[in-house]
Amino acid sequence: MNKQQNFGLIVAGVGGQGAVTIAQLALGAAWMSGFNVLQSEVHGMSQRGGEVSAHIVFSSSKVTSPTIEEGSANLLIGLEPLESLRHLHYLKKGAPIVSSSSAIINMNNYPDHDLIISTLRSLEKVLIIDSDAISKDLGFSQGGNIALLGAASRLMPITKSIWEQAITERFKSKGEKIVAQNLSAFNFGLAKS
Amino acid sequence: MKKSKLLLGDEALALGAMDAGVKCVYGYPGTPSTEIFEAAEEYIKKMDDGRVSMWAANEKVAYELALGTSYTGQRTVVTMKHVGLNVAFDAFVNSALTGVNGGMIVAVADDPGMHSSQNEQDTRPLADFAHLPLLEPTTPQEVYDFTIKGFEISEKLKLPVVVKLVTRLAHSRGEVFRRDDRLSPTTLGIPSKEEKNNWVLVPSIARVRFVDLKNKYSEMLKISAGFNKAIYCGKKIGVVISGMGIAYFDHYIEHNNISKEMFNQLRIKSYPVDKTLLQDFVRNNESVFVFEENYPYLEDLLLGYSLDKKCIIHGRRDCAVPQTGELSLGIIRKTLAFEPTNPKLTDAKKREIDKIVSSRPPKLCDGCGHTDAFKSLTTALKNIGIDDYRIFGDIGCYTLGVMPPHMAIHSCVEMGASLSMALGAALAGHTPSVGVIGDSTFFHSGMTTLISAVQTKVNINMVVMDNSIVGMTGQQPPVTIGICEDLAIAAGLPKEDIHVLTPLPKQHSANVDTLEKIFKKNGPSLIIFKRECIQALRRKLYPHQQKKEVANE
Repeated sequence: MNKQQNFGLIVAGVGGQGAVTIAQLALGAAWMSGFNVLQSEVHGMSQRGGEVSAHIVFSSSKVTSPTIEEGSANLLIGLEPLESLRHLHYLKKGAPIVSSSSAIINMNNYPDHDLIISTLRSLEKVLIIDSDAISKDLGFSQGGNIALLGAASRLMPITKSIWEQAITERFKSKGEKIVAQNLSAFNFGLAKS
Repeated sequence: MKKSKLLLGDEALALGAMDAGVKCVYGYPGTPSTEIFEAAEEYIKKMDDGRVSMWAANEKVAYELALGTSYTGQRTVVTMKHVGLNVAFDAFVNSALTGVNGGMIVAVADDPGMHSSQNEQDTRPLADFAHLPLLEPTTPQEVYDFTIKGFEISEKLKLPVVVKLVTRLAHSRGEVFRRDDRLSPTTLGIPSKEEKNNWVLVPSIARVRFVDLKNKYSEMLKISAGFNKAIYCGKKIGVVISGMGIAYFDHYIEHNNISKEMFNQLRIKSYPVDKTLLQDFVRNNESVFVFEENYPYLEDLLLGYSLDKKCIIHGRRDCAVPQTGELSLGIIRKTLAFEPTNPKLTDAKKREIDKIVSSRPPKLCDGCGHTDAFKSLTTALKNIGIDDYRIFGDIGCYTLGVMPPHMAIHSCVEMGASLSMALGAALAGHTPSVGVIGDSTFFHSGMTTLISAVQTKVNINMVVMDNSIVGMTGQQPPVTIGICEDLAIAAGLPKEDIHVLTPLPKQHSANVDTLEKIFKKNGPSLIIFKRECIQALRRKLYPHQQKKEVANE
């Protein structure tokens, strides 16, 4: 983190999609890397299919705010394309977006999917990934999210071995098979970036 | 291995309590406080050393349980959300007069910005009202530290100590270093013979106890002085900061290369606040900006010390800070007129995107029984000729019935208001009057209305959405299940006025028929829509599901 004093990551998604898990993996990895960290999570009412986001702040200097100011995040990971669009305004100039293209349509007025994707593509530094297809290919429902994290991981000042350590820690209580599955999903995404 | 852990503010409070030797933890679920109890419950399960955690029927009961535990000389925590303190308020205020024996922490989580609450009231003036000390931490580490210190203060002052969190702290995860040793619960013994009458608030004793409480004030100020700090840098401009105000101010200064020497600072972490600290700060500045969550509490105190206008106080009162809602880094920046950030989106692009982005409000889960219940209730009302129907609602998942397509709830005030408002409306001639309440909310504050309603002859229809779980806050077990019918019978409601319906699509027309008959009949009725919460079923949280697993083993 030479020039980068302060890193702000936004993880956005739909309630029940696993945004908090992805956020906690990133938080854990940043912490294991020796950064000072704080994360703001959304619990409660918005779990029920509403919009959710987590802010992760990590820095080599002292961190006291768990939230990120609009226009100052360094990276946005969107687990759902409409939620990516919704949270774009948090990004600072030049900051990248890694977004899923797989829509979750649980409302009547969901915008035109092509319009969402083309709007995302019109921005500089965007990586769009079909996370549903990846989940299907990899054969587990969270595979796409973890792959998305893998694809985004290059954009954060955290080494591959720390990421793997964070994933192992997180899933080890669920058995070796689950750990291996998640590690391979992470590496699958990493290879795509 | 690291010596620290990443914990939510809520979890840090639970861990602090464990390490301070807490014996019993009580509470009633409410976002953003719920995870305090849940974390404590987990710790207690793992330790297996005789500590107790128990959800109570409501916050008042929870508070009284804690007071009883404290009476025995043991340390205790009671948790609730900000509006829960209203429910516990009678016990809260009077416990300042009885005092406590074993250390007692009242953990209250406020919800500025109303992420999942009906208001954004501030716990600080309520603690002030009760003459009780309050600690306001800023980070998960401080939550842990203040909880442990809080027990010491509580036993020193012999008063309950409030620890106030807000959503952005309760649900923030950060690094927490633990102290080396964990205390085991130990008892100070029950109040001595000399002290035992202190707990009997008959007027003659209460008068003495109120004087005793007033006499503790100077000791409280001394304790607060150890937490609160004024830092002067020789300038004439200052900030008064507390809670997340400290978090955001410090962060902004730290990460934007702004000199710490730009502002005098008054950093408040403990209440009551010594007035000389405030007076001096006003005297030493020409303008002061106040950044505090919830209400302009410190700001109003400061305004009282600056009547000569030699120092101008800026905050929520003069709209330098937005009057409502939570603080943010952006508010610090704008209020102190720092340079704006450089966002990725141009204004034109942001407008273009805003046009596309539609909101995604929370909603009832697909297949939720509440949906079927609302559908049959509204259909039945329409069928008997009431197109512009009104249904009194309450607090829980079913409050989402206000949203389309249900449009079935027309009030949500506080826990239990549905039934009482429906009864009040019925007494005024509104017929049929319908109130909808969940089972946990019914046990919290609805049962008493049932008892009152049975004594009337009016057309009050009390609808219990019974899924035998506290759904909204994350499927906690309710204090009891399956006793609504027996309760109503015991209260004197005839059996034929108690109806148990199953809210399933295939039952819709049968349910509508039954409801039409009920609504047309004059007199109180209890309608129980009984079906499990699909989320809880999926997580196998029901007792019958757990039994099955045991049987399979």
